[in-house]
Amino acid sequence: MMDAPTTDRWIRCLNLLQLVLAGIIIMTPTVWMVLSSFKPSFEVTAYPPTLIFSPTMENYLQLTRTTPFVSYAVNSLIVTIGSTALGLLFGVPAAFAVSWTRISWPAILTLAARMAPGTLFLLPWYVMFRQVGMIGSYTALILSHAVITLPIVIWVLLPSFDSIPRSVFEAAQVDGCSVTRILWRIALPLVASGVAVAAILAFVFSWNYFLFALVLSNGDTKTLIAAAFNFIGEGSTQWGALMAAATLIALPPLILAALVQRWLVSGLTLGAVKG
Amino acid sequence: MSDAAATMAQGRQRLELSALSAPAVIFTVAMIAFPVVYTIWLGFQSFSNTGKQSFAGLANYSKLISDNEFWHGLWVTIALYVLSLVLQLVFGIWLALILFHAKRLPGIVRSLFISPFMMPPVVAGMMWLVILDPSLGAANYILQSLGLPPSEWLASPTWVIPTVALIDSWQWTPYVALIVLGGLQSLPSSVYEAAQIDGASAFKTFQRITLPLLLPTIVTAAILRSVDLLRFFDIIYITTQGGPGNASNTLNIYGFRVGFEFFNIGYASALMLTLTAIVLGAVLAFNRLRGAVAW
Repeated sequence: MMDAPTTDRWIRCLNLLQLVLAGIIIMTPTVWMVLSSFKPSFEVTAYPPTLIFSPTMENYLQLTRTTPFVSYAVNSLIVTIGSTALGLLFGVPAAFAVSWTRISWPAILTLAARMAPGTLFLLPWYVMFRQVGMIGSYTALILSHAVITLPIVIWVLLPSFDSIPRSVFEAAQVDGCSVTRILWRIALPLVASGVAVAAILAFVFSWNYFLFALVLSNGDTKTLIAAAFNFIGEGSTQWGALMAAATLIALPPLILAALVQRWLVSGLTLGAVKG
Repeated sequence: MSDAAATMAQGRQRLELSALSAPAVIFTVAMIAFPVVYTIWLGFQSFSNTGKQSFAGLANYSKLISDNEFWHGLWVTIALYVLSLVLQLVFGIWLALILFHAKRLPGIVRSLFISPFMMPPVVAGMMWLVILDPSLGAANYILQSLGLPPSEWLASPTWVIPTVALIDSWQWTPYVALIVLGGLQSLPSSVYEAAQIDGASAFKTFQRITLPLLLPTIVTAAILRSVDLLRFFDIIYITTQGGPGNASNTLNIYGFRVGFEFFNIGYASALMLTLTAIVLGAVLAFNRLRGAVAW
């Protein structure tokens, strides 16, 4: 029988080994995508696949030359920033009111969008937006994506507002502050970091959302995600450009997520887990 | 007099609080509640080829029952759901335990572990499409150099569902792991100390103590994943569009195509309402389970 310190070291070694294994499984596909995006076109479809090659920007240049990649990216930014702003505008006061009154049905109502398949809303939206000629407009896209951002903002901010001691608000009320004034002048500065996390998560999930833009955008307002399909069509023989597009589309959410990874868990589960 | 002033102040406050949540409520009713009611109404309509609309009663729903494609879609949805959920829960718990025992994880490592589910599912679909290409993909090269037969992956009617489940599990297992990790970190350490004193083995401790205490967290993770998995769309639409043939035609993909490719809005509404009922049923069932395993 082994003595305790030796067993301990073995267990730690075994655990580290598993950690590395899990890391490799998680990272390899992403690394492969990025590597492929820098491969010369004759090498990206080489079989057996190559690991060592002279990197080139050819694929990225081709992407900007042969597709309206930049204008798709601008469309994505307009829709994502617009819907995030709208989500904050509606969500911040709502989260504050829910936290104050402990009446939670408005927050639960917004969760409906998380439950039902997007197509359920998309069918009536399509019929309605078509009647008022709004298919393909930024307004329709921003409104539809705000359905994604609003519950994120509310559920990320609820615990932040809840954590402010009630006495802070009561003191302000004695001084004659109105509720709205308390929100803007006192509560909001105290939950500033929560607002930042909410905004970033809303941005990420709005940026990543596929279905609505697929139907509600047109040639001029197509977002990057909705255009991904075009890249695949053209890229069946041009994996390099396809992987360059995939890398660029994934970059903004990945950078933002890395910035707030410590606070992500509670936000991602919409309040189901306190992380 | 001062009583009246106090009541007035209170009424004013209540009004102000309602005004604060009003924009969110009005927006949600306008964008979700009203459209859902509209969809229910659309489900009772039929649209002719010329775009003429007429009341159809339950015709869309009786069509549902005799539609082989609907039953096939239901089967695909459930098969994909069960397979993915089991994979993600098993590996998610495994990953959570590893991360839990690796104390002081640097932020950069955490960022790497969350990177799959922070990127768009569409991008995950694009990258795996290239990796899993039957003739030139890296996956088949690895299989062959290990002496295993290559697979057709997404191009095979038999393997497409397991393959899509694998892609989704690659993306969302770390998410399940993060939730379970949160549960692990909030477990009282006193129970472990007691088990250690009693001389329980590591496996026994996990089986008898950790797992039962973790069950509510695991059920929570299962609910959050169920909601997404039953509505499976993005990865399939990007990689196979329901193919080959109709082998990966989930209910959500089928409903989308009926609505926006064949423009049969009435029947698509009936399909989507049925799918919504299935999602709600799963959530309610898991919620009861969560109540049963709570401690």
